[in-house]
Amino acid sequence: MRGNDQPSKRQLKALKTKKKELSIHGRRRLRAGEVVSLHIDTSFCAQRRKQMKTLNLAMLSSVVAVGAGAAHAQTDWGNVLGDFADTPVNIMVIQDPFIDPLRDISSDFEGVTGASVTVDGFGYDPLHEKQILGCSQRDSQYDVLFIDGIWVGEFVEAGCLDPVEGRLDDTDPELIAWDDYVESFRGQAVWDGQRQCLPVGAYWHMLHYRKDLFEAEGIDPPETFDEVMAAAKFFAESDKYPDVSGYAMNFRRGAAAGQQYFEWIYSAGGKPWESNFPGSEDAYGDQTPTLTSPESVAMLQWFEDMVPYGPKGVEGFAWDERFNSFAQGNVAMINAWSVRTPGLENPDISEVVGKWDVTLFPHAEGAESTPPVGGWIMCLNQYSERKDAAWDFMRWFASPEVHKQWVLKGAPASRHSTFRDAEVIAAQPWLPTLYESAKAAWVELRPRHPMTFEMIDAIGLHVNRAIIDEVSPEEAMADATEEVTEMLQDAGILE
Amino acid sequence: MHTTDEFAPPRRRFVSRHALSDRLLFLAPAGLYLLALTVFPFVYSVYLSLHRVKLTTLHRKRFTGLENYYDLFTDNLFLDALKNTAVLTVASITIEIILGFIAAKVFFSLRSSAAGSFMRSMSIIPMMITPICIGLIFSYIFNPTLGVANYVLGQASIEPLGWFSDPDVALTTIILVNSWQWTPFMMLLMLAGLTSIDQEQYEAAEVDGAKWHHVARWIEIPAIRGIVIVGVILRIIDNLRLFDIVYVTTRGGPGSSTEVVTFFAYKQDFQYFQVGYGSAAAVVILVISIIITTFAIRHLRRVENE
Repeated sequence: MRGNDQPSKRQLKALKTKKKELSIHGRRRLRAGEVVSLHIDTSFCAQRRKQMKTLNLAMLSSVVAVGAGAAHAQTDWGNVLGDFADTPVNIMVIQDPFIDPLRDISSDFEGVTGASVTVDGFGYDPLHEKQILGCSQRDSQYDVLFIDGIWVGEFVEAGCLDPVEGRLDDTDPELIAWDDYVESFRGQAVWDGQRQCLPVGAYWHMLHYRKDLFEAEGIDPPETFDEVMAAAKFFAESDKYPDVSGYAMNFRRGAAAGQQYFEWIYSAGGKPWESNFPGSEDAYGDQTPTLTSPESVAMLQWFEDMVPYGPKGVEGFAWDERFNSFAQGNVAMINAWSVRTPGLENPDISEVVGKWDVTLFPHAEGAESTPPVGGWIMCLNQYSERKDAAWDFMRWFASPEVHKQWVLKGAPASRHSTFRDAEVIAAQPWLPTLYESAKAAWVELRPRHPMTFEMIDAIGLHVNRAIIDEVSPEEAMADATEEVTEMLQDAGILE
Repeated sequence: MHTTDEFAPPRRRFVSRHALSDRLLFLAPAGLYLLALTVFPFVYSVYLSLHRVKLTTLHRKRFTGLENYYDLFTDNLFLDALKNTAVLTVASITIEIILGFIAAKVFFSLRSSAAGSFMRSMSIIPMMITPICIGLIFSYIFNPTLGVANYVLGQASIEPLGWFSDPDVALTTIILVNSWQWTPFMMLLMLAGLTSIDQEQYEAAEVDGAKWHHVARWIEIPAIRGIVIVGVILRIIDNLRLFDIVYVTTRGGPGSSTEVVTFFAYKQDFQYFQVGYGSAAAVVILVISIIITTFAIRHLRRVENE
């Protein structure tokens, strides 16, 4: 058994990794001629915990100072965070591409506090299922829950979350810098007038297109729905590109098609319910569905018209299929969440490295581009028995300096400061377009009340029925309206 | 010399109170197990099915009587699920019986060869793979752009199919996958039945000049009928519970073309957490299973008596 004053294997590993990173960062900065003062305690191999912790803190602080740039002051985490030696902090999170950077960077927290961080990843539906079931059983296994921003109403109603509002009030505002989070996403962490969670993993949609093909054909990146369809038709029907189809969309029945409806409706000039439109001061004031509006029906017709220009089987495409078809070079355009974008430059999974670019989400003639916003908010489990350690992890992880380090490892940017950071932009050149998208997005893109999952799924069924030509777009939207209205009335959301 | 008493049923012996309590003591664990894991969940499901209730707000449940059942039988999606489950069950079992019988005949004729024994062992591998893996494997095989199936069709100059995305094809694909996995089960049952047939019956048929279809019609099918009905009952129950393949490959789509009753109940219970409505669906599934199984068992007994 390990003695109390011995560093754990995990701590030693974290320390070695940190030392390596430190030397790399240090050399780079010095080459750039910047003055960096690094003090490394030569008692690196000392066995006493106190010495280990001091060393960890010194090195972590140095790394953060080197990486964070001038925008944020260096935080002395040793004075800020508690000592949680051998305390587990268990995190439940979506199995999205940011999970490896999350695991990677969590070792820094372990090094500082002595806590033992475990990150468990799940698929979208299983995550929702496991979190709600765990909550209904008052399960304390997981301390930190990453939830989709649109689930917040359901989780608050079920009493699954310990709101961070009070803890934020007791925290130095500079430490988390709430106002630094991009507005269109940070609003998704607020419900019932309280900040429930921390908005750490923001995604926005961009139009991803094959730059090489568009340039070869002299076609400008499309801006409107009509231009998207024209370009999709061209590539789908061109004999020159027999293996390339035009555009892949999320048409699979259920959440995939349902979410797609919400992702496109604002840019189509419509709105999903009466009082929900970009800029609305009370988006939930009147939730009477407006799914049968001319804009909504026209958009669904446009979806159906796009099917022939998609890859074979596009009616069954969801997030993975959509991204993979583009990454494999089989399709000229997709709209996709920005969390996937870095993967296109990874030669292990992408055949289009260096051949693509991004532009703003398209819009209908006369409407404005309203890029979809989504992502993951980090919440404190109401039933956690280690809330102090969990909260320390959360505020450490959410801080601007650690957020930047996380983004540099390939995670999504959520903060103004990160979007403006030259080092981050150099690592993710599509960031300026993404920032433009982030600023144009509408926070209430999808419903966030407790019926959201069911409502999106129901709409997804009817959208899919229109896509496969089982019913007309008018009939599909009329059926969806009837079902959603009944659902909302039953839940007491609609009178 | 036997007396009549020797053939009479044993008389009921007096059981002392002490012996009775011993017996009850031995029965108690099994009884409690059944009570806790079968009876209570069922009774609670029936109770929940009479309420409008969400798992996240159990304290707000509202008694609605049979409203959930009424809603269920007027819910087009549930009715589609019932229809699809029926089609899937009948089609899958029919294919499994036909292919299983042919395979059993082949393996029966090869029963004394090492190659036959090896092939028989290999043929039951699909049965040993978990359905979720089967779903994943076939989602790759039938992937519309990268899958082997469409590649083979392309090589034969046949238009590629949307195996899981075309509403006219998707349920058929699920049936094919399901049949592929469970045909070996029927084959094994029938092979066991064929093996039990007395060799003299074959010899007599040969002497009488019977053709292969006469042998099948008058000797083999009657001999294996009982065991096939047992297999059919088990497969009906299996098909009513079919979930994994649909969950992995189609999620009930496109439209409602592959919606099955278990997936419907799963969505209500574990995605929407509408446990009242979901429980009503589960109770209906259970009742249907009991009815079908009861009829099948009665039929089996009749066959046995014949």
